Amino acid sequence: MIVFLQSLMSGVLIGGVYALIGIGLTIIFGVMRVINFAHGDILMIGMYLTYFLFSVFGIDPFLSVAICIPVMFAFGALTQKFFINRMLGALPQNQILLTIGLGLIMSNTIMLLFTSDYKILTTSYSSGSVDLAGISVSQPLAISFFITAAITAALYWFLMKTDIGQAIRATAQDREAAQLMGINVRWTSILAFGIGSALAGTAGALISPTYYIFPQVGSAFTLKAFVITVLGGMGSIVGATLGGIIIGVTESMSAVYISSGWKEVVVYVLFLLVLLFKPSGLMGTSRM
Amino acid sequence: MRVTLSATARRGASPLGLGLFAAAVVVLLLFPQFVKSPYALHMMVLFFLSVIMGESWNILGGYAGQYSVGHSAYFGVGAYTTMILMTAKGIPPWFGVWVGVVVVVGVALIIGSICFRLRGPYFVLASIAVAEIMRLSAFNLKELTNGAEGILAVSVPPLTIGGTVITDFLSKVPFYYFGLGLALLTIAVTWVVEHSKLGYFFQAIREDQDAAHSLGISLTLYKNIALVISAILTSLAGSYYAVYVGFVDPNTVLPLDLSVQIVLISIIGGIGTLFGPVVGALVLVPLSEALRSNLITQAFFSMGLVSQDSKVGIFLQENLAHAHVLIYGILVVIVILFMPEGVLGFVTRLVQKITRRDA
Repeated sequence: MIVFLQSLMSGVLIGGVYALIGIGLTIIFGVMRVINFAHGDILMIGMYLTYFLFSVFGIDPFLSVAICIPVMFAFGALTQKFFINRMLGALPQNQILLTIGLGLIMSNTIMLLFTSDYKILTTSYSSGSVDLAGISVSQPLAISFFITAAITAALYWFLMKTDIGQAIRATAQDREAAQLMGINVRWTSILAFGIGSALAGTAGALISPTYYIFPQVGSAFTLKAFVITVLGGMGSIVGATLGGIIIGVTESMSAVYISSGWKEVVVYVLFLLVLLFKPSGLMGTSRM
Repeated sequence: MRVTLSATARRGASPLGLGLFAAAVVVLLLFPQFVKSPYALHMMVLFFLSVIMGESWNILGGYAGQYSVGHSAYFGVGAYTTMILMTAKGIPPWFGVWVGVVVVVGVALIIGSICFRLRGPYFVLASIAVAEIMRLSAFNLKELTNGAEGILAVSVPPLTIGGTVITDFLSKVPFYYFGLGLALLTIAVTWVVEHSKLGYFFQAIREDQDAAHSLGISLTLYKNIALVISAILTSLAGSYYAVYVGFVDPNTVLPLDLSVQIVLISIIGGIGTLFGPVVGALVLVPLSEALRSNLITQAFFSMGLVSQDSKVGIFLQENLAHAHVLIYGILVVIVILFMPEGVLGFVTRLVQKITRRDA
């Protein structure tokens, strides 16, 4: 029983970060109908930014989230403006290829700057844990979960209560109608890609104390992000949050009860099953 | 896409094109007689490999319009089957290859039955997921695949027919001719597909699935036919690679990066055209090798752009070689944004413009 609760706990904690990755992808998809294959690479840039700030300026990885958000937002907004924006009406295959190409450029540029060596970001609390009613909780994962929860709550408030948030939701619902209502859809697209990148970058910052940092780490997270958003329903933020937690728990459960080597296989099989039997996902009907 | 359709609808080849092709084949056949450098032969082997992979993907992705980003699955199945049979059972590769083909047909039909229920981006995602499942399985099924350590073949048994030794695989020359043969085979298969009813069915599915379906073209049947042809040729490429290198492990024959590179050969050269992947390989292999062997850094030095002893110079010399995939990324972004018909289409159009101006 304690093993079960233990793995449930760590699954939920890591699921929080997964949710952040998934929400970023789903916002981008919702607003632009573009599947961003560079999402994991953007996360990887967030990891390296955090690593750079930590190793050069000694900034704590969790504090560097405050720097990561604006930097990654600007990075995403510029990427959208100069590359993605030109392809909005194009064939989905070509959009996918463009983002794949951008992802390759990102990962190889980082490799050029930082070499392909594995980096580890060790903080005083990296391996620390808190005892919670017999269950030990990893300290960095717990902190990152709370930051994730705060960011997700702030994002909900932004999308639901502010005018700009409403404009983004309107664009996601119906691009043409939103345009007719006087919403500048070019701006909302840039905003959406910026927010999506900021979320991915933040997720990268949050996991950097617990993961190996290397240039190719992105592709695994890109795939994970797809699994999460398809599971939740493409374009649904609530779905992505749920999907993230489900994938986190599935991974940690299968690592404990099957074997850690097969945990990702379980996730991909689950993904194929969802694609085949419920392609609209858990929250497929609601759009954001 | 419409441009390629009208181009492929033209039956037969022009005498000039056919002559050029024949001349190229003759030159390639005589190449090892004049060039003995193992490095040059190695580059040609890489070029043939790219052509084989690009042409095989092109049948499914270019003609039938099904963008599989999981072709490393078929490459890996071919490579692993041949290697396992050779090292564990002592079966020579020229028999193992055909076992690989049989296995890959089975795998392709299973994958097809799952993925072809999906369309567009969902098909792409499913194809990636299946290939990743295969890669992770190769890691975990240690008894069969030796896991992350991979399989190393110490030597390749000599190829004999009726007691006479045809080749002993000790130099790169036999690999050169096998590569050339396979590349010509894939081009021939593509030509036959393009000029048969099958090719028209594929292109109808690519242009509009629903319209094709309403005209009585069975989507499942023809998509699976395209997949099986493509998978068989890709598995031949995988077997060829495995025997040539003598080593397979999950991260060299089954990674997502390989699937992406296979797609990009066609995209950069010219998707859905007979010689697009050849052009793609002609562009990508030398550029990627120039980065890998630090040729580009040397060029910067000799042009005086960067000093060899400066910090930037040392940095480039140390790191640019590792980032040789960068060129794939930059090229695909340029091609997608500025030349949607690929390098071949772009050059053809450029030539047409110039000749029209002259006339």
